[in-house]
Amino acid sequence: MKKQKTVVNKKNKTTKNNLTIAVAGNPNAGKSTLINAIAGARLHVGNWPGVTVEKKSAEFEFRNQRVTLVDLPGTYSLSPYTQEEVIARDYLVREKPDVIINVVDATNLERNLYFTLQLLELGIPMVIALNMYDEAGQKGFSIDTDKIASILGCAVVPTVATKKEGVDSLMKTAISFAAAPREHQPGSVSYGEDIEQALTPIAEALKDHPGVLAEHMPLRWLALKVLEHDVRVMSDYGLAADAPFLTWATKHLRAAHGDDLEALLADTRYGLAAGLTHEALKKPETRKKELTERIDAVVLNRLVGIPVFLLAMWLIFKLTFDIAGPFTDWLDGVVAGPLMRWAAAVLAAISAPDWIVSLVTEGIIAGVGAVLVFLPPIFAMMFFITLLEGSGYMARAAFVMDRLMHAIGLHGKSFIPLLLGFGCNVPAIYATRTLENPRDKALTALLIPLMSCGARLPVYVLFSAAFFAAYAGTVLWSLYLLGIVMAVLMGFLFKKTLFRGEAPVFIMELPPYRMPTVKSLMIHTWEKGKHYLIKAGTWILAISVFVWFGLNMPWGVESKKDSYLGKTSQIIAPIFEPLGFGTWEAASSLLTGVVAKEIVISTMGQVYVPQAEEENEEAPSFGEDVKEIGVSFAGAFVDAAKNVFSTFGIATMSAEEDEEASGLKSVLAKTFTPLSAYAFMAFVLLYLPCFIVLVAMWHEFGTWKWAGVTIVYQTVLAWVVAFVIYQGGRLMGF
Amino acid sequence: MMLADLKPGQSGKILKISVTGALKRRLMDMGVVGGTEVRVKKVAPMGDPIEVRIKSYDLSLRLGEARQIEVEVIN
Ligand SMILES: Nc1nc2c(ncn2[C@@H]2O[C@H](COP(=O)(O)OP(=O)(O)OP(=O)(O)O)[C@@H](O)[C@H]2O)c(=O)[nH]1
Ligand SMILES: [Mg+2]
Repeated sequence: MKKQKTVVNKKNKTTKNNLTIAVAGNPNAGKSTLINAIAGARLHVGNWPGVTVEKKSAEFEFRNQRVTLVDLPGTYSLSPYTQEEVIARDYLVREKPDVIINVVDATNLERNLYFTLQLLELGIPMVIALNMYDEAGQKGFSIDTDKIASILGCAVVPTVATKKEGVDSLMKTAISFAAAPREHQPGSVSYGEDIEQALTPIAEALKDHPGVLAEHMPLRWLALKVLEHDVRVMSDYGLAADAPFLTWATKHLRAAHGDDLEALLADTRYGLAAGLTHEALKKPETRKKELTERIDAVVLNRLVGIPVFLLAMWLIFKLTFDIAGPFTDWLDGVVAGPLMRWAAAVLAAISAPDWIVSLVTEGIIAGVGAVLVFLPPIFAMMFFITLLEGSGYMARAAFVMDRLMHAIGLHGKSFIPLLLGFGCNVPAIYATRTLENPRDKALTALLIPLMSCGARLPVYVLFSAAFFAAYAGTVLWSLYLLGIVMAVLMGFLFKKTLFRGEAPVFIMELPPYRMPTVKSLMIHTWEKGKHYLIKAGTWILAISVFVWFGLNMPWGVESKKDSYLGKTSQIIAPIFEPLGFGTWEAASSLLTGVVAKEIVISTMGQVYVPQAEEENEEAPSFGEDVKEIGVSFAGAFVDAAKNVFSTFGIATMSAEEDEEASGLKSVLAKTFTPLSAYAFMAFVLLYLPCFIVLVAMWHEFGTWKWAGVTIVYQTVLAWVVAFVIYQGGRLMGF
Repeated sequence: MMLADLKPGQSGKILKISVTGALKRRLMDMGVVGGTEVRVKKVAPMGDPIEVRIKSYDLSLRLGEARQIEVEVIN
């Protein structure tokens, strides 16, 4: 068994058909950016610590050499504290990459080198990418890279990942190191006589440990971990903290430095890192006031900090809807008009049977189209979230909000996943990984679905345009707010019930502000938004077809009400009666909306729309259609620009409503009242999240428990809130 | 004197960290080790976490933890 393993290893080493290069370093040092620059990947980057939470790899070819770059979550040390740090540590220790690229933030040498020292202990050839070299230059730093290289026994290459500077030379060095690993063993830095003397007997005692032999553990690293009493390492190797050899080996050390050897080692390493920094780094005498400090003087100001935060949130909403509104109207026009007509014409030309025509137009185009129409606000929202992430404001928001989050048993850092939840709940669930303790993670994940994601937006936009044209913006706002208020209430409730116990601590690095490049903004907005497109082409398409069959089976059914879907919905409709929307149409939308919330609208498109189609006009020609699409698109641009500059209320998509009240809206107006419409929107906001979120919860926590809690509490909450809104509203005479 | 007692703008040198366990390790890994200089930069608008400058980067932590870090004021 063992033999075989070495053979495989050897083969890898000699043929070099694929090199594995691990990219490790402190959080926010630019690891993902660097990999994107080298391999043309599109890994998630953002200017806050803890963006990468899973190891991700990018494969590519560099001068005829296949290379796999492994992006690791950032970590401050090899003694992991958070779950994502465990991932990084386990990978580095167990998988043995050919080379490590250690990304070091040149503006923060000392803390980064503290980690570098620990990486050296692994005995893997290492190249330091001295990143953010541009920022170091701006600060007037001058760094002696040769000195660092010679002291640490590794190569040092200055890089600017955002501008792809230095990456070629970095890769060349890394590959040459991999080609001759023996000549490029990293140096070992002495931790001083006392510690080294204790290490020798520990290493000696561990040398023949079966676990060590089997896994080719770097002995020095292991000895250091044992000296530090690293809990995970000790238990992995079945070592007791009071093993006689250990007590004996550390006796002298304890006598001289006390019992906390972990602290002693941290102190020692920081001492070395400080010494190294002192030798290699020259700072200018006088420090000028940096931009970050100036911005923070306002953003984190005791008086205006919170107003600024609220203003920023408000501005994001306003801009999202003002910019996207006209485009949504435009897309709506295109889908409902020309696209429908063209599809019908094509189908007629090939003399397709009626049911196919109906499936394609009423099923697929109406269903998928109803969702596609909302791509503009979704992309706009993603754009602003990318901007928040990339600029560094995200971390400030966590700092400003921590006190409030603390009150509901959370953590300022929980604010980041919650904020991401407004884009899409699924990545938000994964983002909880940056939280240190499991209690925090679970509580945050339970509250995330209350953050109204992009998929719910179509429902609000449609209903508020149909019923609250004049105050559509305010209504939208109020729904987002409702979600937040519910999160606060539920947070309190959970804190008092499921999550008793001490509140978590908050320790976070605040990165300097950075200006994201236009290109990276575009790429990451696209990466976030494209999931909606994919969803539209897969799940929503499938459900639309399914709904169409549900509405048309048994075959030849006269009224949709008597179809399978109609009948099923009629059975559950009474549940919604006290909420003001006890119709089978509403019930079937909610039922199918469990797959993804946009589907509420796409189902409505099918359930309601045929009735509206009666208002037939004479069809324009193909040429007229194309021209109209172009003209109205240009119009949308003008409107969007006007909206941004003119109004200071959220203008939303209401402006042109009266001219072309599109089919669905006018039908809805007949079956809902403004009050029941509001109750319906609140219900859609709160009722169970789409199943992808539930799967993400299961995936993240390894149990269905929290997904189950979510399903139960949200369904109850949604019903109660919609009930209170509807019945309360009626009492008040609405 | 404790880190939590420093006013914004004041600096201190870390003497002792009374936090224990994994949290202590975390703080040390982030550079909160004895002998290091810290400067309090800001207090969050709602009065709780504070922002300190340490080892040429900005760290935020709560008063609860800052009360367990002993410093000596320097000018
Ligand atoms: N000025 C400058 N900014 C950079 C450079 N490299 C990365 N950045 C920025 O630094 C921030 C962090 O980059 P990421 O690539 O997300 O960092 P990471 O190391 O992957 O961070 P985690 O995944 O959180 O561990 C982003 O805002 C980048 O645009 C650089 O060389 N110069
Ligand atoms: Mg990353």
